[in-house]
Amino acid sequence: MEALFFNVDTGFLEGIVRGYRSSLLTQGQYATLTQCETLEDLRTQLASTDYGNFLANEPSPISTSTIADKALKNLVDQFNYVRSNAVAPLNEFLDYITYAYMIDNLVLLITGTLHKRKLTELLKRCHPLGWFEGMPALGVPTNAEELYHTVLVETPLAEYFRDCLKVDDLDALNIEIIRNTLYKAYLEDFERFCQSLGGPTADVMGRILAFEADRRSINITINSIGTELSKEQRARLFPTIGRLYPGGNNALAKADDIDQVRNACDSVTEYRGFFEGVGANGAGSHGDDEGAAAQIEDKFFVEEVNLNKMAFLQQFQYGVFYAYVKLKEQEIRNITWISECIAQEARDRIQDYIPLF
Amino acid sequence: MRAMGTPVLDEYPTLFRSEAMSLVQLFVPAEVAHDTVSELGELGNVEFKDLNPDVNPFQRSFVGEIRRIEEMARRVRFFSAQIDRERDPVPIRPLYDSAPLIAVGPRAAQTIDDLDVTLSEHESRTLEMNSAYEVLSGRLAELIEARHVLRETAVFFQRAEYNQTGIRSSFDDSSAPLLQHDDRENQYSAPNVQLDLEFVAGVIDRTRLPTFERVLWRVLRGNLYMNHTDIAEPFVDAATGSSTYKNVFIIFAHGDALLAKIRRVSESLGATIYPIDANADKRVDSLREVNGRIEDLEMALFNTGSTRRAELAKIGESLLSWEDLVRKEKAVYETLNLFNYDVGRKTLIAEGWCPTREITMIQLALRHATEESGTSVPPILHELRTNRIPPTFHRTNKFTQGFQAIMDAYGIATYQEVNPGLFAVITFPFLFAVMFGDIGHGTIILVSAQWMIFNERKWARADLGEIFGTFFYGRYIILLMGLFSIYTGLIYNDIFSKTLHLFHSGWTFPEAGSGIVHAEPNGYVYLFGLDPAWHGADNALIFTNSYKMKMSIVLGVLHMSFALCLQLPNHLRFNRLTDIYHGFLPQMLFLQSIFGYLVVCIIYKWLVDWSKSSTAPPSLLTMLIGMFLSPGTIEEPLYRGQGFVQTVLLLIAAVCVPWMLCVKPYLLWKESQRVKNEGYAALGGDDGYSARHEDLEGEEEGHGGAIAADTDEGHEQHDFGEVVTHQVIHTIEFCLGCISHTASYLRLWALSLAHAQLSEVLWEMTLAPFLGADDVLGIIMLLFVFVMWFTLTVFILCVMEGLSAFLHALRLHWVEANSKHYEAGGYQFKPLSFATLEEKE
Repeated sequence: MEALFFNVDTGFLEGIVRGYRSSLLTQGQYATLTQCETLEDLRTQLASTDYGNFLANEPSPISTSTIADKALKNLVDQFNYVRSNAVAPLNEFLDYITYAYMIDNLVLLITGTLHKRKLTELLKRCHPLGWFEGMPALGVPTNAEELYHTVLVETPLAEYFRDCLKVDDLDALNIEIIRNTLYKAYLEDFERFCQSLGGPTADVMGRILAFEADRRSINITINSIGTELSKEQRARLFPTIGRLYPGGNNALAKADDIDQVRNACDSVTEYRGFFEGVGANGAGSHGDDEGAAAQIEDKFFVEEVNLNKMAFLQQFQYGVFYAYVKLKEQEIRNITWISECIAQEARDRIQDYIPLF
Repeated sequence: MRAMGTPVLDEYPTLFRSEAMSLVQLFVPAEVAHDTVSELGELGNVEFKDLNPDVNPFQRSFVGEIRRIEEMARRVRFFSAQIDRERDPVPIRPLYDSAPLIAVGPRAAQTIDDLDVTLSEHESRTLEMNSAYEVLSGRLAELIEARHVLRETAVFFQRAEYNQTGIRSSFDDSSAPLLQHDDRENQYSAPNVQLDLEFVAGVIDRTRLPTFERVLWRVLRGNLYMNHTDIAEPFVDAATGSSTYKNVFIIFAHGDALLAKIRRVSESLGATIYPIDANADKRVDSLREVNGRIEDLEMALFNTGSTRRAELAKIGESLLSWEDLVRKEKAVYETLNLFNYDVGRKTLIAEGWCPTREITMIQLALRHATEESGTSVPPILHELRTNRIPPTFHRTNKFTQGFQAIMDAYGIATYQEVNPGLFAVITFPFLFAVMFGDIGHGTIILVSAQWMIFNERKWARADLGEIFGTFFYGRYIILLMGLFSIYTGLIYNDIFSKTLHLFHSGWTFPEAGSGIVHAEPNGYVYLFGLDPAWHGADNALIFTNSYKMKMSIVLGVLHMSFALCLQLPNHLRFNRLTDIYHGFLPQMLFLQSIFGYLVVCIIYKWLVDWSKSSTAPPSLLTMLIGMFLSPGTIEEPLYRGQGFVQTVLLLIAAVCVPWMLCVKPYLLWKESQRVKNEGYAALGGDDGYSARHEDLEGEEEGHGGAIAADTDEGHEQHDFGEVVTHQVIHTIEFCLGCISHTASYLRLWALSLAHAQLSEVLWEMTLAPFLGADDVLGIIMLLFVFVMWFTLTVFILCVMEGLSAFLHALRLHWVEANSKHYEAGGYQFKPLSFATLEEKE
C-alpha cells in the first residue's frame, strides 16, 4: 500500500536523499585521498568529488578542523533542505533524528559548565543539528530539577528527562546517568514512533534502532565495569528494545568482565564477531578493557555502516533519511581521520577509516 | 564513414557539413610550453586531449602552479566580495579600459610573482583594516547600546516615579487633606524608590527576547518585574554586513542570589548587561560621558572607513584585469596538466583536435609564441592519422548560432554529416509563420527583434537575466520569424483579424438585399493572397479551413521529402551505396506513392474549376481511405484511369516494405559470410588496414602507446541479430511514421486557425464595440480599451501564441524532419579558448 501513495508526499525527498547518497565518497576516492601528501593535496582531491569547491574560499594553509567544519556544514545544509521540504509524518521523523544531537549538546553543555569552560567555546562545539531554543541557558542551573524546569520543559527532551529528576547534583557520574537515561528514553520513543508508522519504515528502522540500543547496552556495561555504578543502576540504563532484550540485557547487567559480556552477546550471531580477539588474551586489568572497548567501538561502526547501507535497499520508507545522515557523519569522521593522519604524518594508520561504498 | 584518411577540404567554411578536423600532435619544449598554450588559448582553435587520464589531479605536473593560481583567485574573490559589500558602490574599472597584464614572454614569471605579492599585500592590508574597523564598530555598537539603555531606563524610572506617586495619591484620596499629605509623601517616597530598586539592565537580540523572558520567569519562579522596549534602528555587523534588531530590557528583582542568576541567564543567552546607576544624576553624567565617547569613536571609525574605502577603490582599478589574468593562467596550467612529458622531461607532448583549415594559423601562433618567449627552439606540430571519429565543429556567426543551437539541442551532428541547422534558417521561421500568419503581429515581432539587434553591442556584454537573455540570444530567429509572419499574413490577408484591400477584389456583393446575399464573380482575379471579399462571409471559415488544411499537407510532405533527400549527400560522402539503393530509394518511393500522390491530387483538385465540371468535387480523404480499403474501385472519380494508377501506387508502396526490411541485413550477412570464407575473422577490410597503418606510424615516431591504445574504439562486431532487430524497428518506425508525421503537420492548420480566431475574438470583444463612438466619454473609453487591446495582443497573441507556435515548429523539425535523415551521433568540439572562459563562469 505504501508504494501507492508514498511518492505523493515523499517521492521528491527520497529522490534527493538517494542522490545525496550517490555523492558519498567511494572506495576508489578514499584510495586516492589516502595517497595525498599534504592537506593541500587533499583539498584538490576533494574538489574533484561531490564536495566541489567547498573549501575554495579558505585561505591556505588549511587546518583539519576547517575541513571537518565545512564538511559538517555541508551535511547540515542538506539536512535542513530536506527538513524544510518535509511534510508530516516525515518532518516528525526528521525531528526525531535531531533529538539525539540535542541530547549530546545538553550533556556537552552541562559537563562543560561543570568544568568551568567558557560558554562561547562550548556553544561552538555543539552539533548544529541539535540546536534548540534556550540551549545556551543550560549552563545556569545547578541540579537536575532546575535544569528541567528552566530550559528542558519546553523542549522535546522534556518527556525523556522525567526519569532523570531523581538525580540530585550534577557531577560527572550523574551526567553520564542522565545521558544514558535520556538516550534510553529517546530510543524507546523513536522505536515506538517508527512502529506506529508501520510498513517498511518500521522494518528498517526497527533493525537500525535495535542495533543502536544493543550497542548502548554493551557500551554501558563495558564502561561501567569496575566503576561505582551499581548493577541495579546499570540495568536501569539499558534500553528496553533491541535484540539483546530482555535475556541478554539481564546477563549484561550482571557482567563483571569482558568475557561475561561476550557470553551475554552470544545469542546474537552478528554480535559474536565483535568480541573476537578481544577477550581471548585474558580479561582483568583495567587498561586492557579500555583497549578492548576501542576495538569493539570500531566494529560497531562497521556494523552500523553496514546496516545503514542496507536501509537503501528498500524503497518507500523513511529509513533512508536516517541512514543517510549517519553515513554522511561517518564519512565526515573518515575525512577528518584521513586529514588528521596526513597532518600528523601518521601514515601507517591512515587506512583505519571505515569505508562506506 | 571510417575511411576518411584525408578529409576533403571545401573551399570556404560552410554550415552544410561540420569542419574537417585533424588530430595534431605538438612537441613543445618545456620552457615555451606556457606561452604556447596561452597563445593557442587566445586563438581558441585546439581541443586538447587528456593524455594522462589515470593520474590523480594532485599528482599532475603543474599542480603546484595551479594551487598558487587558486590562492590568487581566492584573494581576487575576497576583494570582489569586499567591494560588493560596500554600501556605496566602489568604482570598478572595466576590462577594456585597463592596461593588460602580460603573462607571456621572458618576463612572465616576474609578472606573476609581482601580482602574487601585490595581491597578498592588498589582502593583508584589507584584513588589517577590516579587523580594526570591526573592533571599532564593535566598541561603538556597545556604546550605542549603553546609550540606549541609559535613555530607556531613564524614561522608565521617570514613569515609575510618576506612577508610584499616582498610586499613592489615589489610595489616600478620600481620607485626608490633599495638599499637606502629598507633600509629606513626596518627601518620603523619593528615597524609598531609590532604596528598593535592585535591577539588571542590558540589551538583547530581539529574536531571543521571548526565550529570555520565559527562561527568566522559570528560573526566578515569577519573582521578577521585567520591562523592555524596542531599539528602532538596526545594528549592522561590520564583518558580515547583516543587521540585527535589539531590545533594551530592565529587570527588577530582589536579593543578590536572584540578581546573580539573572546575570548568568543573560550572559548565556547572549545579552549584554550594562551597569546603570539608580541615581538619576549619575545616570545623566554617564549618558554625557557615553555620548562624548561615541563622538570620538565615530570620528575614528570614519577615518578607518575612508582609508579602507580608498584601499578598495585602488583595488577596484585593477580588479578585473587581475581576475582576467588569473582565470587565463588557471586555464593554461590546467591544459598543461593534460600533456605528457617525454623521457628526458625536456619536451611536453600534446595531442588535440583542430580544424584542418586552421593548421596554418596554429603554426603561425606557435612561431609567434616562440618569438615572444625569446627562445630559438620552436614547438613542432604534425598531423596524426587516426580512425577515431573527430568532434563536430560548426562555424557559426551571430546570425546562424541561434538556428544551430536549435539543432544542437536535439543532438550534435555526426562528424561531416549534413547539418540540418543550415536549412532550419529558412524552414524554421517559415513553418512558424504558417502558424502565426498575421501582418500586424508579425510587425510587432519584427520591431522587437530589430530593437534587440539595434542594441546588440550594448546588451551583448550585459547580463540580461535568464528569460530576456534567451530572447536576446534568439533575436535573429525572431527577426526572420517576424518577416515570414508578415509574408504569410499577406497570403492569409490578415492584419489584427482585419483584411487589407490592396488590389481589386474578384467578388462583388449585390448593393441591396436581405437575408443571405451571394457575391458574384466580377472577372477580376485577386493578385496576391486571400481575396478580402472572404472576410465576413458566412462560409469564410469553411473556405480557409479547407485551404489551410490542404496547404499543411502539401507543406508537410514537401518538408519530409526534402529531409529524406538530405540522406543522399550523407550516403554519397560516406560511400554507403547499399543505403542509397536499399534505404533511401524504397523510403522515397513509399512516401511519394502514398502522400506524394495525395499532394498531386490536392493540387490537381485546386486547378479544376468544379463549378463548370460535370461531376461533384470528390472528397480526397475518402479517396485516400478507399485507396487502401478497396483498391481499384473508385466511387467519386477525380480523373480518368484513377483506379489503375492507385493500384499501381499501392503495389509500389507494398513492395517497398519488404525491400527496406530484408535487403540490407541480407547483404551484410553475405558480406560477413564472404569475409569469413576468405579466412579473415572479425576484422573489417578497411578498418584493419588503417589501424595497422597507424600502428606503424606510431612506432616510427617512437611513442606508439598513446595512439595505438585507442584504435580498437572504432571496431564494431557485426552482430547479425542486432542488425536485423535494428532494421525491423527502423522499417516499422518509418512506415508508421510516414502516416503519423503527415497527420502531425496538420498542426500547422490547427494553430493557424486558432491564432486567427483568437485575434478575431480579441478584436470583437474589446475594440470593435467602441470604434463608432463620437462623444468625449466614448473617445476616452476607446483610448482605454485600445491600451487594453494592445497589451493583450502583445502578451497573449504575440508572446504566448508565439511561444506555442515556436514550440510546434520546433517539434516539426526535431521529430518529423530530423527522424528522416539526422543521425546526431557526434560530440561537440570544445576548444581551449580564453574568449569562452568568461561565459562558463
